[in-house]
Amino acid sequence: MERAPVRAPLIKNLEFKVGLLMVLTGIIALAFLIYVLHARGAFEDSQALVLTADNADGVSIGMPVTFSGFPIGQVRRMTLTDEGQVRLTVDVPEKNLRWLRSTSVFTLEKPLVGGAKIRAYTANLQDPALVPDAEIPLHTGDTSQEIPVIVAKVRAILENVQAMTQSGSSIDQTLTHVSTITGRMSGPYGLMEGVLGDGEKARKLVDTIDHANTVLKSVNGISLRVDGMLGKTEQRLFAEGGAMDEVQQSLAQINVLLREAQGSLKKADAILGNAEAISADVKGATTDIGTLRAEVDDSLNKVNHLINDINRIWPFKGEGELTLP
Amino acid sequence: MIQFQAINETLTRRGAATLSWLRGWGSLIWFAYSALVHALSPATYNSATRSVIQKQIYFTAWQILPGYTLFAALLSFVIIQIVVSTARDFGLSDFALETVIRVLVLEILPLVTALFVALRSSAAINTEVALMNVHNEIKALEDLGVDAMQLEFIPRVIGGTLSVLALSTVSGLMALILAYVVVYGAHPWNFPAYTLVVSKIFDLGILLGLGFKVVLFGMAVTVIPISEGLRAPSKLFFVPIAVLRGMVRLFFVLMLIEVASLALKYI
Repeated sequence: MERAPVRAPLIKNLEFKVGLLMVLTGIIALAFLIYVLHARGAFEDSQALVLTADNADGVSIGMPVTFSGFPIGQVRRMTLTDEGQVRLTVDVPEKNLRWLRSTSVFTLEKPLVGGAKIRAYTANLQDPALVPDAEIPLHTGDTSQEIPVIVAKVRAILENVQAMTQSGSSIDQTLTHVSTITGRMSGPYGLMEGVLGDGEKARKLVDTIDHANTVLKSVNGISLRVDGMLGKTEQRLFAEGGAMDEVQQSLAQINVLLREAQGSLKKADAILGNAEAISADVKGATTDIGTLRAEVDDSLNKVNHLINDINRIWPFKGEGELTLP
Repeated sequence: MIQFQAINETLTRRGAATLSWLRGWGSLIWFAYSALVHALSPATYNSATRSVIQKQIYFTAWQILPGYTLFAALLSFVIIQIVVSTARDFGLSDFALETVIRVLVLEILPLVTALFVALRSSAAINTEVALMNVHNEIKALEDLGVDAMQLEFIPRVIGGTLSVLALSTVSGLMALILAYVVVYGAHPWNFPAYTLVVSKIFDLGILLGLGFKVVLFGMAVTVIPISEGLRAPSKLFFVPIAVLRGMVRLFFVLMLIEVASLALKYI
């Protein structure tokens, strides 16, 4: 079986078309090669600097070094020294060198998601320029490494907070006490109730003070009456004898009366003394009670005076002094 | 006794099949080697071979250039969009461009180009050589004192390889431009950032590896069909079988080259 020879159809401008395609391919390939060489800094002077770190986890060749978020250089070489230190050789093109100073700080940051980043920080752009082949430590700020430490600390804090807030803890008890005291203070006897413990005691104190006031009033009344009586007695004494016994008896009664008054005042005074001691640091209350005491003292002085007067007038001198304990 | 004979026959058949399979690979490697040697010797390039090379390039590359470029652009655009938007969703935009260039320019586009040329030209070459073998044309040429290897086969290998190189280069450039436009928009301001990414991806090793891989692809799509066509017995009904075997072997080899290239780069 013979096969008819296959004649290729005549193609117009075959050589031109194929030549064009081949030249185009060649130009593209060459241009790309030149572009890659340019991209890798083959036509640009660059300066090397060496970053030393304990650990270069996440660093790869070609990784950019950024300054303010802009890439200014690339990691070119990674070597491990005999001391176990990592040396990263970074190429920085001449035009980017102005961002790096001798005081620049380099950090390797490893975020939770995404690749590691080498960042350069320059505080003062006026500082002296970087020396070629300078060796600079690379600070590693590894977020993921710090997490366990942070978690441990937070747990300790939470435990403390729990211990503080659970029922029966010191703070809880203190707060309960404060609540009790302020609750009492909001009662009808205010601060005094808060200090003394309950309303009943405070009421008693107030009652006692009221009582003392009443007693003093009646003593006042009595002393007035005694004054009047003395006038009459004097009259009767100087006018006519015979009324002396009566007068003596009534004076004796007065004496008894005054002693009773003294007794009740002593009691009142003792209570006041206690109140003063209890509320020593409650200034307002103390001042009130001090005033009260001054009043009582005053009243007692008056009574003393009265008795002295009586004694002066009365020849049968008896024990007539009243003192406040 | 009969059982023993059956086992013996089975083993003989298996052994023969294996030997034939190995012989196929052997002749393929031998052919590839001699093609390479011929391609590198200046004596190969005379006006006759040049004309065959030109025609091969014309049919393999020039004819499909517009359609293939369009297809490559579409494929690149879709892949770039997917990678860039996915990376943005995960907050990994920094890596989108690098991933796109690596995936498209270094891997997918050369492989797709090779497959495209394989489907279009390799099948045709395989059939033609098998038919030449059936019609004893090769022997006739040799009788006339013409080296069929030099006149017919080597120009096809060279033309096919150059075609795959050209198509890969054009589609790769297209992908690089599209990647820039999709990631940075149609402004020239971000060219330095793009340059930085390019410098990170392409070093000498990667460039040489890419070139070597594309040349291997180009040789595979021509050497394997010719070798399979030559190996076919001179019977017309063996032609389809030869084409089928050639295409399967070609696909296998292309994948093998791709896997080897990936393994060398990333493992």
